[in-house]
Amino acid sequence: METLRDKVYEKNILDRLADMLVDGIASVIEKFRPGWRARNEAKLDEYRLMLYTLNRSPPGLIGLMLIIGFVFTAVFGPLIAPLSYDTPLVFCNYEKAYLAAPGTTIVVPQDCNSCSTVEECLELGIPPGKYTLVFGADDYGRDLYSRLLYGARTSFIVTVLTMAVGPLIGILLGLVAGYYGGIVDEIIMRITDIFLAFPGLILAIAFSAVLPYRISDILQENVVLRDFLLWLFAVKPEHAPSLAYLVSVVIALWIVWWPGYARLVRGAVLSAREATFVEAARALGVPVRRILFKHILPQPTVSGPLIAYLTTDMGTVILVEAGLSFLGVGAVPPLADWGRMIYDGARYFPNAWWLVFYPGLAIFLTTLGFYLFGDTLRDILDPKTRRRIRFKVKRGVAV
Amino acid sequence: MTGRDPIIVVRDLHVYFYTHAGIVRAVDGISFTVYRGETFCLVGETGCGKSVTAKALARIVPPPGKIVKGEIIFYPEPGKPIDVTKLGEKELERIRGRLIAYVFQDPSAALDPLYTVGYQLAETVKHHGIVKSFKEGFQLAAKLFRKVLMPDADERVKAYPHELSGGMKQRSVIAISLSTEPKLLIADEPTTALDVTVQAQVMDVLKRLKEEKNLTLILITHNMGLVAEMCDRVAVMYAGKIVEEAPVDELFKQPLHPYTKMLLQAVPDPSRRVERLESIPGSVPNPLNLPPGCRFHPRCPHALKRCREEEPPEVYVSPSHRVVCWLYAGGRRG
Repeated sequence: METLRDKVYEKNILDRLADMLVDGIASVIEKFRPGWRARNEAKLDEYRLMLYTLNRSPPGLIGLMLIIGFVFTAVFGPLIAPLSYDTPLVFCNYEKAYLAAPGTTIVVPQDCNSCSTVEECLELGIPPGKYTLVFGADDYGRDLYSRLLYGARTSFIVTVLTMAVGPLIGILLGLVAGYYGGIVDEIIMRITDIFLAFPGLILAIAFSAVLPYRISDILQENVVLRDFLLWLFAVKPEHAPSLAYLVSVVIALWIVWWPGYARLVRGAVLSAREATFVEAARALGVPVRRILFKHILPQPTVSGPLIAYLTTDMGTVILVEAGLSFLGVGAVPPLADWGRMIYDGARYFPNAWWLVFYPGLAIFLTTLGFYLFGDTLRDILDPKTRRRIRFKVKRGVAV
Repeated sequence: MTGRDPIIVVRDLHVYFYTHAGIVRAVDGISFTVYRGETFCLVGETGCGKSVTAKALARIVPPPGKIVKGEIIFYPEPGKPIDVTKLGEKELERIRGRLIAYVFQDPSAALDPLYTVGYQLAETVKHHGIVKSFKEGFQLAAKLFRKVLMPDADERVKAYPHELSGGMKQRSVIAISLSTEPKLLIADEPTTALDVTVQAQVMDVLKRLKEEKNLTLILITHNMGLVAEMCDRVAVMYAGKIVEEAPVDELFKQPLHPYTKMLLQAVPDPSRRVERLESIPGSVPNPLNLPPGCRFHPRCPHALKRCREEEPPEVYVSPSHRVVCWLYAGGRRG
């Protein structure tokens, strides 16, 4: 059977990579389930088409690149950072490390004033070595580059935790409201409207200002949870009390993050529930829970916009989290957080411009990445826009 | 043949749709009884309320529709009545599919495009506890697909709906509906979306399975040929009401209600050449604004003054033949 792989005439290197990826995965599945490939060739074609569509969208590729970069930094950043997020080089050499400009090199312990031996420096919390502060240092002489790497982890974990729960609440409520309609719909949507009418950021500020006290109690009692969070956020055990503030941000975002999803999903469900097969499933006695999750949620009209929205929304979460920290209700020193770094650096602006510029750039690029990719994802997931590529491909026109 | 053992008794059923434009009285006070083992037909034009009636039987009337009045007594076993209108959602889930099953008009729409037909059958039987696992469900699916004369059944189980033809899709829908061995099957225009040769095959399958499993079948259609071929008893509906009910032979030989007569005349006779196809003058009344008195009077050639003012009575011309019309109200009433 002639597949799409053979029909595309003008393939760039990315298309070839896509082919290799799809074929590779297909042959692995084929190994475990013989005959799978022949049956699912059409499905594979759709995946190829998705990847070809992505390959023809420079913004999407840039977005994907930025996202991959962000995730990579978040996962491995704390491991590759030359210094910890709180290593105060000012203790070694105040003159050199205080607001050190990008490119300054400090050699520990040779350049030190206050400590002369390796042991003395280690006692101050500064491991010996030669450090080039590529992005400069802040008022404690902390390496901005290392802090940015740690900050990626903070942003990433906050985003993942937020997106794991907030949208879920919204999706559930949206499904229920859309499917049942009537009074249930009225009640859920009016509550949603109340939340939407109230600026999310303000509400989040309120919650993240109130929550930390209770949460820090909980974290003190629950050692396992605390250690797990310490590991997640790559925070030193002695800074455990600061964790409560990050956790509060996450919980505050859960509370304010669902209404958009409830509204999006409810709208899509309204049309999806009219499908005859939903009625047929009901007539066969399939329980509501199963109908909602197996027959309504996976419909492309529901899941497509949802996935696209989820992706762009990741960018928004990063932005809002940074915003909360910037306003002083999120991460607290000495934790590395992009928003907080801008806030702390602002008072040295414009002399020490790097303190504001680099964290800002990090937030900007990450958010941009999610926005660009989310936008392209919408096109990729919509079978109709995806088709436009196919017709061009069939005629052998450069696409 | 038909015993006198009722399987479902509908009394004075009213289903209204509360729309923004007003209340649509889709089903407005209908009563009928279906006996175990028979094939009962609901006939009528598009929009006369036959599908809504069918959906009301398992309470799957889509919102904003509501059953406002009446009762639906269902006898899963003789002498064990359940009033369907009073059941909660949990109990209904046990009845739907398990005891009352549906075959919908358009098989392409009735199957979820995201799952294989075998999966959809397995989902149903697993939920109703007929099989323990999806694997057994798939085995059962293959068996049932052979029963509905699906060619190459073992392979078709793994097919997605878009890979099947219309006839095969409808056959899989029938297989899914019958997989739970229901007592009552409601087929809502099961052949309308299919072409004529396939229609015959699908109806054959239905007929054969009905006899094999001693099913009761409620067939909803506007195809008089199908009625003649399949049914034992027929109810003719017009604008939300039953206008005539009779055994099928009697209805074709001796239709009483003017609407039934005109409906039968509208069926072209292949043995005669006709210049023009017969049709019933006028159109179905707007359900938001039904005419007073008999709902058929604006189109009725025999309309009396009385028809415009008063609702016609129900007249039993024989124990099994009733007609709702003023023409038969004098003398033969009873």
